[in-house]
Amino acid sequence: MITAERKPLEEIINCVKPFERILLVGCNECVTVCAAGGRKEVGIVSSALQMAFLKQGKNLQIKEHTLERQCDPEYVEELSTMITGVDAVVSMACGCGVQEVARRFKTVPVFPAVNTKFMGASERQGIWAERCQGCGDCLLGVTGGICPIARCSKQLLNGPCGGSGSGKCEISPDVDCAWHLIWERLKALGLQDRYEQIIPAKDWRTGRGGGPRKIIREDLAE
Amino acid sequence: MNFQKQLESKQFIVLAEMNTPKGIDVSRFVMDIRQLKDRVDAVVVPDLDNGVMRMNALAGGVLAKRQGLETLIHVYCRDRNRMALQADLLAAHALGLHNLIVAPAQEISQCDHRDAAVVNDLNETGLLETIGTLQNGKDLAGFDLEGRPEFTVGCLMTPWSDKASFEEEIKLTQKKISLGASYVVTPPVFDTGRFAQQLAVLQTLNVPIVATVFLIKSVAVARYIAANEPGAYISEDLIRRIRKAQDREIECLKIAGETVSRLRDMTQAVLIQTMGWEHRLPALLDAAGL
Repeated sequence: MITAERKPLEEIINCVKPFERILLVGCNECVTVCAAGGRKEVGIVSSALQMAFLKQGKNLQIKEHTLERQCDPEYVEELSTMITGVDAVVSMACGCGVQEVARRFKTVPVFPAVNTKFMGASERQGIWAERCQGCGDCLLGVTGGICPIARCSKQLLNGPCGGSGSGKCEISPDVDCAWHLIWERLKALGLQDRYEQIIPAKDWRTGRGGGPRKIIREDLAE
Repeated sequence: MNFQKQLESKQFIVLAEMNTPKGIDVSRFVMDIRQLKDRVDAVVVPDLDNGVMRMNALAGGVLAKRQGLETLIHVYCRDRNRMALQADLLAAHALGLHNLIVAPAQEISQCDHRDAAVVNDLNETGLLETIGTLQNGKDLAGFDLEGRPEFTVGCLMTPWSDKASFEEEIKLTQKKISLGASYVVTPPVFDTGRFAQQLAVLQTLNVPIVATVFLIKSVAVARYIAANEPGAYISEDLIRRIRKAQDREIECLKIAGETVSRLRDMTQAVLIQTMGWEHRLPALLDAAGL
């Protein structure tokens, strides 16, 4: 999923300061799962903003709404009935959702209330970790299901480096060495010979190197 | 005379662009530079120009300087992060290369290594700020430098196709000037009449203007530019002139020479780009009466 963290309240307050009526929009997908921008967080931010502005003697009117999916135009369309009379939208979705709302409603400013972080997985309650960088040419079949692009600090395709010690990365004892994990996994699977294979220099065209990316499924596109 | 003094002297400056080899045989590169001694005021060495992997501008600049010519080098952001850029700038200064042109880089999909990872840690304005920071004796992390480099820094304008993109380019160039660019290099000028109309706006930038003269080498090149660069204004008359010439190569050199000669009365400097025909630069300069 796409993970996110709420922006500091001060930053959100600064964005909405010039306005009197805002629409605060959450998303029911990834940001709900990582507890950053779902219905519950919309309620919390709404109360916090109202309290902050009341202290300054200002009454900020906030409409709250959480969409099923903010990166999908058919759900974003729901906002068209709510947006009338609103000075600004504050989106609690990831960057995809913020941009979809901005694309649909061209005359209303849209501000992000979260910082979109990475594509990751939940390690345990309350902890999410990066797992994928969307390089567009998945290597996981070769590396035992552990991604060196997302999980090795140096993105080494043939590791480990000299900074690996006791299975940890030199940047922090809290960070696993991806190549240690890969080796252990290949051993467990009896696939040590895969480690001997030299992975060639990566072709970054499938990643961000090729500019903004798009998927066109001609069988589905209208 | 160093380039900074040339700019201050208000004399007409002629710059010639010299591309480094793709490989290690520098004999032609050096020969082409030697024949320009006393014929141009300085040479410009681009860095991986047009997205072609080749010897870098740092080495090319040092080789050019060794031939006794004042030298300018390009610096750009696509392939180096802020650490590498700063390190190269310090190296350039230590090796006697004190003149920089902050240049845009070709998008990676148009380079000859399309599978390469793109860096773009800084952009052109960020690089200009970085040069300013180094000149103040600090690096971007705030650490003190041993000795302050001093550079003469310019910037490149990218081609504009209409009034709106010209205005945008002027605004961006103003920003670059405010960050330390002390001269501006224009896109290639093919139609000096049209350029004259834009010159009044360019002059409001209040820095020396270096007009680029691009040597058209064939009818095909002329047609390609005319079709793909709407702001270039290559007329059918010009294409016809090359097509009907008895010796097309000589005609192309004459056309570029005439452009240089016309620009002499309009701008403080010209930069001549020959893109592989550097050996014909003396003939082009003859045609320009220089």
